[in-house]
Amino acid sequence: MKHEIICAGIGGRGVLLASTILIEAAIKSGMKAMASDEYGMSQRGGSVVSLVKVGSYASPFIGRENGDILLAFEESEFYKTLFFLRKGGLALVNTRSATLGASIDGMLKERQIAYRLIDADGIARDADMFQSANMALLGAFASFGIEPFTRDVLETTIRSRVPEKFLAKNLAVFETGFETARRKAKG
Amino acid sequence: MDIKQEVVIGNQAIARGLVEAGLEIAAAYPGTPSSEILPGVVYFKNMEGLKIHTEWSSNELCAFEVAFGAAAYGDARAACFMKQVGLNVAFPALLKAREKVLEGGLVIVCCDDPGPQSSQTEQDTRLLAALFGIPVFDPASPDEAADVAYYALNWSFKNKVPVIIRSTHRVSHARQSINLYKPGERTVTLKEGVCAGQGTKLGIIASGMSYSLVHDVIEEIGAADEVSLYKVLRVYPHSEDLARFVGSMEKVLVVEETDMVIEALIGNREKVMGRGDGTVPSSGEITYDIVRDMLSVILQGQGKVKAFAPDRSIETSLADVPIVPRPPKLCPGCPHRAAFFAMQHIWPDAIYPGDIGCYTLGISQGAVDTCLDMGAGVTFAEGFYDAFYQDGKLVPILASVGDSTFLHACLAPLYDAVRNRKRFILVIMDNSTTAMTGMQPTPQTGITVDGIATHSVAIEDIVSGLGVKYLRIVDPYDVPLAISTIKDAFHYLEGDDMLPAVIITRRECLLLAKGKGKDTAYPVRLVEDCIGCKSCFNTFGCPAISFDPEAKKIGIDDSICTNCGICYYACPVQPEGKELKKFKQGRA
Ligand code: SF4
Ligand code: SF4
Repeated sequence: MKHEIICAGIGGRGVLLASTILIEAAIKSGMKAMASDEYGMSQRGGSVVSLVKVGSYASPFIGRENGDILLAFEESEFYKTLFFLRKGGLALVNTRSATLGASIDGMLKERQIAYRLIDADGIARDADMFQSANMALLGAFASFGIEPFTRDVLETTIRSRVPEKFLAKNLAVFETGFETARRKAKG
Repeated sequence: MDIKQEVVIGNQAIARGLVEAGLEIAAAYPGTPSSEILPGVVYFKNMEGLKIHTEWSSNELCAFEVAFGAAAYGDARAACFMKQVGLNVAFPALLKAREKVLEGGLVIVCCDDPGPQSSQTEQDTRLLAALFGIPVFDPASPDEAADVAYYALNWSFKNKVPVIIRSTHRVSHARQSINLYKPGERTVTLKEGVCAGQGTKLGIIASGMSYSLVHDVIEEIGAADEVSLYKVLRVYPHSEDLARFVGSMEKVLVVEETDMVIEALIGNREKVMGRGDGTVPSSGEITYDIVRDMLSVILQGQGKVKAFAPDRSIETSLADVPIVPRPPKLCPGCPHRAAFFAMQHIWPDAIYPGDIGCYTLGISQGAVDTCLDMGAGVTFAEGFYDAFYQDGKLVPILASVGDSTFLHACLAPLYDAVRNRKRFILVIMDNSTTAMTGMQPTPQTGITVDGIATHSVAIEDIVSGLGVKYLRIVDPYDVPLAISTIKDAFHYLEGDDMLPAVIITRRECLLLAKGKGKDTAYPVRLVEDCIGCKSCFNTFGCPAISFDPEAKKIGIDDSICTNCGICYYACPVQPEGKELKKFKQGRA
């Protein structure tokens, strides 16, 4: 099994924690995983892209149109990293909007890219955990059940990674993300 | 045996390998992408309960000489860590030291920065090593870096010569799970030679992360039947095997970062493609797409190779989508931004020699004009001063430098400025840390890499000790005070002292303050009163401020805004901004 995953967002908003959870989840499930992070000089507010490759790869780098999964923690960063996604890939986007507009929509359909728009910021804010939008998006991702990133494995990994103090609330946000994405899939 | 595993970055992997190989003394100066190695040594020595002496040095020469001293005249297993341009600082000593027969062992880890991502230039450490006959390894992943570090320190100890490990940004910062063995129990088989493919038409020789990229691209485009991939790990002296491999191939392509080193060592211009003939771009980082495009062109139509063709409908569909550009910026609430704002406000057209650190980003506020190398902020100012003074002019020159860089490289330049009677303003931005490279304590904080208290040194004492008479310390958040101090300093320069003036802007780096829960907290009222003039958006460059063209107002992202309130000073309708007008009027 192989996955090439792009995590994109802005600094200070938990992109790197999300990608760490993905590699650790893969390793826990007995797979090889590697990541590479790209962030600007400023620690907060700049673009952050973390590439995660799971399986028998030698490098952590993802070529244009090779990525299987794009987790966009911020809408603008989604557009900047869209070229990574392969035909038939999957995208999850943290946005309040209900649509990405006709031209993007058409291109994604044409390229058979499944995508889900999740208001991860809203979910996190409702739980009074503004900084935990990353957990909401991971929850939404878990709802796809792509091995090894099932709800169980991701949840266990979050437990081992997030400090006790914030754990319960983070898991609650993760859960809401999961449910929201599942409802959308049915709806 | 149950082996522990841990996900680490390449730099921590190097630290692990060295610790397992019996490292006794390690010294370093932080510099991206090498900064995490020394803290990695501390982390693993604590994990294993080992006694290893670890220290931050004031510069790379100091770090090298400490490690060399311990390995050359004691019998210690020592190591020092630096970035590629840092090696230049240590180079005079290294050049002589390479001839010494060591009593112990010495590994120099030097992290190159192809691109460059956060350096002023690219530079290939392998080239210097090969030129001066120092053995050099170029690992291709964090996992391999741990093995190489272990091997290299043992090898150096046995053979009594220094060894260089060259890492790159992409290896140093990649994350991977590595095995943690008990000290002394790692077994290492170096992986060199043909590692993928069985073709004979094209032999590809690669080292470091370039090897890993080529490996993945060959798999993706299905080129394994057409090419053979030869991995080089010890770049100098390279294995005899390499020549045989070249001989057995119709054509050879060398992919390496960043200079022609293996390519030059092989020679054979008839057969060899690479940077020399322009097949590989002559500078810049080698990316996945570059390798794939290159191989797609060379191997087009051969065997089962699926050459890659991009789908441009992606760009077309994005044509009308508004995308927020996020150029590198100082963090929201950064004290440097406030200091630059004050400098720029009083003299928009002064000469601004800058230096290297987060604060090089002052360029975007028009308060940094130059960036050459560490310390050049001060010496440049001296040169500029003379150029104008010869023509009888005293122009405002405002040099800026961070605290860590000041201690690294500016003491001699500042003393020169004093004894040669130069007149300019030096702003030392003291945020008590080396923020750009990951928050290492600087000498004046009085904390060692192990986190214990030591003797601290105050920048103001050094500055007065060097003979500077005009010295002021201000909080950069107090923008009016900072501005009037700069004005005052210039009046001083016009006087009879014939000396530089120094202003220390002192406020803790925001990341440190945040860590201590010391966030400033009062809500900003910028948005409510906004008239849409864009002054703050254009001149201030705070990542938290955006402009909404529809509402014709700015917006503030409260998830990253620190409520520092400095943006008020950039706004003409706020009382703070109005207050600053008085400075513009009575300008010197
Ligand atoms: S108060 Fe203003 S300058 Fe400070 S962080 Fe917030 S938006 Fe940026
Ligand atoms: S400077 Fe003041 S008025 Fe101008 S855009 Fe910024 S907040 Fe609005």
